[in-house]
This record gives sequence, structure tokens and C-alpha cells, in this order.
Amino acid sequence: MSWLRKMASASRQLNYTGTFVYRHGNDIEASRIVHFVNAAGGEFEKLETLDGPPREVIRTNDQVTCYLPNTKTVLIEKRRGRRFPSLLPAQLTSGIAEYYTVRQTGMDRTATYSCRILVLTPKDRLRYGHEFCAEASSGLPLRAKTFNEKGDVLESFAFTELRLGGKFDHDKVQSRYAAESRDWRIGRAASPSFESPGPTGWGLARELPGFRKVTESKRSIAGRGAPVSHLVYSDGLAAVSVFIEPLPRSRPPRSLSHQGAVNIYVRLVEEHMVTALGEAPVETVMRIANSLEYHGTANK
Amino acid sequence: MEPISALMDGELSESQMQQHLARLKEDPELLHSWDMFHLIGDVLRGERLLLSGAFRRGIIEKLASEPTVLAPRRTKKKVFTYALSAAASISAVAAVGWLAFFNNPLAPSSEIARAPQSLPVTAAPSPQLSSVPSDGTMNEYLIAHQEYSPSTAIQGLAPYIRTVSGAPAAAGR
Repeated sequence: MSWLRKMASASRQLNYTGTFVYRHGNDIEASRIVHFVNAAGGEFEKLETLDGPPREVIRTNDQVTCYLPNTKTVLIEKRRGRRFPSLLPAQLTSGIAEYYTVRQTGMDRTATYSCRILVLTPKDRLRYGHEFCAEASSGLPLRAKTFNEKGDVLESFAFTELRLGGKFDHDKVQSRYAAESRDWRIGRAASPSFESPGPTGWGLARELPGFRKVTESKRSIAGRGAPVSHLVYSDGLAAVSVFIEPLPRSRPPRSLSHQGAVNIYVRLVEEHMVTALGEAPVETVMRIANSLEYHGTANK
Repeated sequence: MEPISALMDGELSESQMQQHLARLKEDPELLHSWDMFHLIGDVLRGERLLLSGAFRRGIIEKLASEPTVLAPRRTKKKVFTYALSAAASISAVAAVGWLAFFNNPLAPSSEIARAPQSLPVTAAPSPQLSSVPSDGTMNEYLIAHQEYSPSTAIQGLAPYIRTVSGAPAAAGR
């Protein structure tokens, strides 16, 4: 458990530059990642794909910006408050231990660094298993795999080359599209960007074992004209988001799709479109969506 | 579902058929049923599963160019009727899917086997809905979700690669 915490703080507090490979299904993609923390504790991170169409993701503290030059689109996500694990101290200790078997299975080597293998095997079918290999001294995760109940790897991340340390260099965490993207389509909500935490009037008729609600808000979402209700359920390791919005003009069909280990399920509830997605099995995502109901009271 | 059976059996008039083919083109759920019916037909007739994907693709291409090519005069009607009555039951769909998935030596190259690992053929609450790769329209939601996901805390920005992997230019594989 302490290694999980160590991994989380290492990936936020260390300076590092490296190349990692992301594998999902039969696809493999390489990306460059740079992470710096400045003297004031500010976090700057840049992810740049090396294969396929160029894409960049930049983090500046709590703002994440995705540059998609092919479609000349910029997506901006800004949130208040701190990220997990500060968000979920209780789940980290109780939830994970209750729903996963955590084992350290030995040492390995990734990108020339020695690393410690940590395996989290779920105790039921509602979550995926995870295997991490954390750099032996700092705890930085060098490798991460997600697998299903049959042991098939659904997706994996692994550094192939890494340099730990290095001095903060603002240029290295800037987008190469920063200037030209000014004319691109900004995928912002039509209304000004906002997030207002509190009851939305929506909830689950029955919660899933281990999945507790960690946040609930009315918020803007890029590309959506009307405010969207956003609820997140997490067991401390996996999270499922539920987005509820007014029905679009064309009624969307019920649908199931996936992106790496993330499953996405869309259904209609009381003239609303409900999108549930998360890095959890189809059954989990669907059960959460199917259990959603409107119990009123909030400013809908 | 009725029209699909009729369509497959070649029971419709020319104008009815055109109408239904047009609907089929526009409605993904209907198209999926059409797929499923053909898959079931193929499996029950003991034909190679490979046919289904290729057959469907062929149909789509023909729909796009020359819809009249498709006026099917089925001679093996009996077989199809049997296939369709089996299809009427969801459990039959699941059973066929299960058989196709696990027992057919050709499965690895078939459309079903190439479907994602998460394909809920056996365990899912809703077997008739199969998972397809996301087409990039969920990017905004994926990004919004990612900020609350413990995976982001553990791995930093790396999981965002999922989000940008779905960029329209990268889709379609």
C-alpha cells in the first residue's frame, strides 16, 4: 500500500524525461513525456505522441490542454482542488485492501532501471487487475498493465527510455502548437467554463460493492451547450464517471464502446443522455449506468 | 426486427426493400441486428465465421453504390427461417456467440474474435450489445474523467494517451 502512495507522489514530484510505449489491443504507440516541478511546487507536464497523427497533452498545474493539430482542435480541462490521492485518503487504505489482493512479487528491470513489481488482483469481477513496476528508489511507475479476469492484458504502459532528474525547463513543457493553435477551434463549452460541486439530483438506486461516490457536480463540458451533471464512483484504484445531459436533438442509440481499458456505455434515462465510462469491466460500467435514477431536489 | 427477417428472406417488394435498406444504412442498432442475424445464419449452417464481416462489408459497399444489386431471391429459405427464429431469443444469440468465440478454430481471424477483449459475449448483462472502438466523440468526457481517475494520480499524464488515441485521424483502424 505504501508503494502505491509512493508511486503517486513520485509521478507528481519528480523531474523526469522519457519515452514510453502504450499498447492496447493490437496497437502500439510511442510517446515522449516530460515532467517538471518548479521551485514553487508547480507541476508541468508534456506528453507528445511519436507515432501516427501528432498530438500533444500539456498539464500546467490543474489545467490540461490537448492539442489535436489534425483537426485543428484544442481541448481544455481545468479543475479545482487537488487530485487523488489527496482526494481519496480513506479509499486508498480501506477500499483497495478490501477489494484487491496486493502483492509484491519481486524485482524487474525497465528502461535500465531496477523496479519493484506490485500486483493488485481484484477479489471480484467488478474491477480489473493491475501490475505496476515502480523504480526501486524513487517509486516512479515505469510500467503499468491492466488485465481482465482471464489474465489478458487490456492495455499497458512501459518506459523504454528514461532520465530521472534534470532542471526545470519551461520550453520543454510548452506546446509546439502554442502559437499556431490560436486560430484553432477551442473545444470549450458554449457557456463559460464552470464546475459547481453539490447535489445534482441524480444518484444510484444501488451502489456497487466498493465503488463510492467521490465527487458530484454540475459543470460545463467542452462541446456541450448545456451544463452536464458529473458523478464519479471509485474504489480507490478504478473510477467510473457518469455524465448526464439533456437529450440531444437526434436520440442517440444505446451503445457500448471502448478506448484502451476504458469502457463507455451510453443509455437514455428520463429524457436524458447518460454516458458512463471508466477503466473497469463492461459489467461495472453498465451496472452503474443502469442503476442511475433521478431523485429530484436539486436544481436540475 | 420484422423487416430484417423479411429483407433477408427476400419477401419484400422492390420499394419496401429500398426503404428498409436505407434505414439499415442509417441505424447502427439495426445494422448490428442485421450483422447478428447473418452471423447466426452462418454459424447454424456451419459456414466459416469469416463470411460475416466480409459479407457485411460487401453489403455496405453495394448499398453505397448500387442498391438494386441486393434484391435477394433466397432459395435456401428454410435455413434462414430457422436461423431467424433462433435469433429471436437473446439466449440463443449468447449461445451462438459463445460457441463461435470458443469452439470455432477460425475464430481468431473472424470479426467476433478481433473485437475487443472486453467483448461481453459470455458475462455481460446485455449480450446483444457488442463493444466497438470509440470513435473519438467521447474525448471531452474522457479528459474530464481522467482528472478524477486514480490512474492519473499514479501514472501522471500517460493515461491521457487514451484520450488522444481516439482522435478522428487515428480512428478507423
